[in-house]
Amino acid sequence: MVAPGMAQFGTWQPKSRGRLFYNWPPGACEEALRFTSAGQLGGEPYDVVIVGAGVVGCGLAHRLSMYDLRVLLVDRLHDVGEGTSKANSALIHSGYDAKPGTLESELLHEAEADWPGLAARLKIPLDPVGGIMMAVTDEQECQLEAAEKNAHANRVADVRILSADEIREREPNASSSVRGGLLVPGESLADPFMASIAFAEIALANGVDILLGVEIAGVELGQARHHLVTADGHRLPARRIVNAAGLGSRRLADGYGGGAFDINPRRGQFLLFDKSARPLVQHILLPVPTAHTKGVLVSPTIFGNLLAGPTAEDLPLDDPAATHTTVDGIRRVLEGGSRLVDGLARQPVIATYAGARCACSQGSYVIRYNDGAPGVVTLTGVRSTGLTTSISLARHLVDGMQKELGLELSPDSAALDARPESAWPGWWRRPFENGATDARADHGCAVCFCEVISEGEIRDALDSPLRPRTMDALKRRTRALTGRCQGFDCQVSLAEIVSGHTGIGIAQLTKNGPGSELVAPGQAEVPA
Amino acid sequence: MSDAQHFKVVIIGGGPAGIGAAVGLAKRGVGPVVLIERRAELGGTPMGYRKKPGGVPTFVEWTRGRVVFGEELAGRMAKRLAKTDTAIRLGTQVTKIDPAEKRLTLLGPDGVRELTADAAVLAAGAREQTPAEKGWLAGARTARVGFTRHVTGWLDRHGLLPARKPVVVGSDLIAYSAAAKLRAAGSDEPVMIDRRQSPSAGFFERLFFWRWTRPDWSGGVTAAGMKGDRAATGVQSSDGKEWPGDGVMVCGELVPNSELALLGGLAVELPSRQLQLARGQAMSEPGWFAAGNVLGGFHGAQWCYFNGRRLAKRIATFLE
Ligand SMILES: Cc1cc2nc3c(=O)[nH]c(=O)nc-3n(C[C@H](O)[C@H](O)[C@H](O)COP(=O)(O)OP(=O)(O)OC[C@H]3O[C@@H](n4cnc5c(N)ncnc54)[C@H](O)[C@@H]3O)c2cc1C
Ligand SMILES: Cc1cc2nc3c(=O)[nH]c(=O)nc-3n(C[C@H](O)[C@H](O)[C@H](O)COP(=O)(O)OP(=O)(O)OC[C@H]3O[C@@H](n4cnc5c(N)ncnc54)[C@H](O)[C@@H]3O)c2cc1C
Repeated sequence: MVAPGMAQFGTWQPKSRGRLFYNWPPGACEEALRFTSAGQLGGEPYDVVIVGAGVVGCGLAHRLSMYDLRVLLVDRLHDVGEGTSKANSALIHSGYDAKPGTLESELLHEAEADWPGLAARLKIPLDPVGGIMMAVTDEQECQLEAAEKNAHANRVADVRILSADEIREREPNASSSVRGGLLVPGESLADPFMASIAFAEIALANGVDILLGVEIAGVELGQARHHLVTADGHRLPARRIVNAAGLGSRRLADGYGGGAFDINPRRGQFLLFDKSARPLVQHILLPVPTAHTKGVLVSPTIFGNLLAGPTAEDLPLDDPAATHTTVDGIRRVLEGGSRLVDGLARQPVIATYAGARCACSQGSYVIRYNDGAPGVVTLTGVRSTGLTTSISLARHLVDGMQKELGLELSPDSAALDARPESAWPGWWRRPFENGATDARADHGCAVCFCEVISEGEIRDALDSPLRPRTMDALKRRTRALTGRCQGFDCQVSLAEIVSGHTGIGIAQLTKNGPGSELVAPGQAEVPA
Repeated sequence: MSDAQHFKVVIIGGGPAGIGAAVGLAKRGVGPVVLIERRAELGGTPMGYRKKPGGVPTFVEWTRGRVVFGEELAGRMAKRLAKTDTAIRLGTQVTKIDPAEKRLTLLGPDGVRELTADAAVLAAGAREQTPAEKGWLAGARTARVGFTRHVTGWLDRHGLLPARKPVVVGSDLIAYSAAAKLRAAGSDEPVMIDRRQSPSAGFFERLFFWRWTRPDWSGGVTAAGMKGDRAATGVQSSDGKEWPGDGVMVCGELVPNSELALLGGLAVELPSRQLQLARGQAMSEPGWFAAGNVLGGFHGAQWCYFNGRRLAKRIATFLE
């Protein structure tokens, strides 16, 4: 029996109007979730197909789901937000350092106002800790005034210059060479994973179809409708196509004759420190940028850790190393971070990771309507601020599609624009501290000991609307596997819980989709 | 919370060291004692090493002069514990400590609880160092990069071979035990690489495993990266050497589970996470003691058991 008030625990289980399918081989997920033919999607052409379920594609799907439209969101990965959107600094930027007058500046300005309300409605953890840009040389100190002016030009009015003493008062561990800085109250921390997930869950509830693990290999252009052709040869009919494929946008655009642009991955490596390092800083500490890069910042994470990074390394398109870390890169991150914070090198590291920005020679936020063919939208170069702008960019794109593509927008009166309390991630609302164990003892059985995540939270995540079925998808929702032991203690027991709850054989479980089985493939499990 | 239960001694961790401490305290008539274990069964790390025909025994039982399977050894320890009056809380994790007040926060099936004690023993064991902690191992983040714990977990619990062509990173006793287990279960002869020039396991230790494994050794690797897109395909050094495989096991080089002490404000060395100990395995706050593998370094399970038992004397003295 569920005790009164228990409804707020468990998970959000809306009656989704959209359909959700994954490209899994037989047995690797429940049959009802498996994508086997385009017929499962109904055969009618979609009003809009969005290729790429990063935070940008998910944000757009969320926005379009507010209208009476048939929309499909496709990604080649086995979860939403698993590309660049999963490996970034996880900051909601104020836009103080943008180039004034650009679309990026405008979108950041709008997003800054949107985020507190968005986070509260969609249940995306957000912490407005504020930032300090720290000058550690005389030369950098001279740049502070210009930075302040630039912020004002971007309509970020609340910045102000701090003296070295004022910084030390706020940040006792600031580097002893600090000369002064710029206080930027509008910088916040967010849960970067939950942004994509929340957008996609609401979109699904409102009727957007979602297809994951499906790569779009080509586009057949037509008069009234186009077809997206998947790598397995399925044809998906679409009246309009939005290319939100991030680093895949160039290849996709080649398929429909999109105009010229050049992109490449700009790798950013990070170091993640244990929770013992969190008290070292109070704000997001930002370096004074150089002509080439914003530099290495040191920031708390919303999860209670400390982060240093990123590097900025330009690599060729399709370089498989675009998301690899390097021993040298990590060393440079530590050096960069140590210029801002004393004692950083003493702190225990728990993980390293790298993300790849979509750097575009034609600038950031390149948007082209009717690119190559009527009804096709190319969006690329969403390089360094896409998490923040996902909300305002979606609005901007929908306006553009209405004007340029003749997309008719009639609001769907039944559409939701919020997730309920039960959708907060467990690590944030701590169900076991709030009585959830009265109804379900598994909310008190820790499985991930480092982050203290319970079996109940794992089962809740498995039952959540996007039916996450990979270890990485679970990790981003629950925090299990993300602590100091990096899965040493819980990987196998976690797999046992997933297998037990879903019926998927343990030998078929994967880290992030087919090909990433946790054990060498092709084995039948022998019961213990 | 005012309903915190009070005990004379609380023991954190139900592995060999925690069990040893509980048995030792019972011998001295100290009580009431509570032992808290976050897993569903007692026995700690050795318990994951199931007795299997054709398996590799890796736990030295000095008192009987033989090498046995972990669960045999831990099972005998647990039996000795069962004869004492120690209160045992399984499936319960200590999530926070307040060293000065000797107050512990617990999470278990009945939710969050607190308890207090006059003395506390940290017997939380150790884990294997992660690639990021090593500093010399970077590269891709793929599936099938695991630890020795996973080798035993997959093999002993599920009969699954984590890798057919394993690359073992590390060269201590634990790394050799992992290589032996993999080989005995039918993998190819593992490749073994390490930063050290020569293996850190001693000659006789390697000799013991000779029956099962003679890993293909490469030492002196100073910077390397994991390779692979979705799953590991091996390791590559920054000077271009490659060790192909279908899984990478990152083994040994134990790191103490000292996080409760660290986050609770007891003295811990960083970044090594070693507890700063005074004589008698005392931690920086009076009444707090440590035993077993949490002390740092590698200690065999039976050593840890007796270490816990001996510590009981110090605790009894402290309580007087
Ligand atoms: C190091 C770093 C730090 C950053 N820090 C911040 C920050 O602090 N704040 C902030 O706001 N932003 C930050 N960003 C930027 C932000 O992460 C990106 O702007 C944002 O994630 C881009 O989202 P996206 O949806 O455009 O791209 P992606 O997340 O890459 O999504 C594109 C998706 O398209 C899919 N795809 C590609 N080709 C195909 C195909 N053919 N068929 C099907 N699917 C396909 C991919 O699988 C992928 O999931 C940072 C980025 C980096 C790299
Ligand atoms: C991967 C690995 C492989 C090993 N292989 C061998 C081998 O082959 N042969 C050999 O002789 N020795 C081996 N050892 C060493 C052997 O395991 C130890 O000597 C022995 O287990 C140490 O005993 P312990 O009680 O100190 O720690 P453990 O046996 O690790 O027990 C610690 C216990 O504390 C519990 N615990 C930790 N934190 C908390 C908390 N906050 N709340 C509640 N409970 C907690 C843990 O769940 C665990 O059960 C290995 C060790 C490791 C880590």
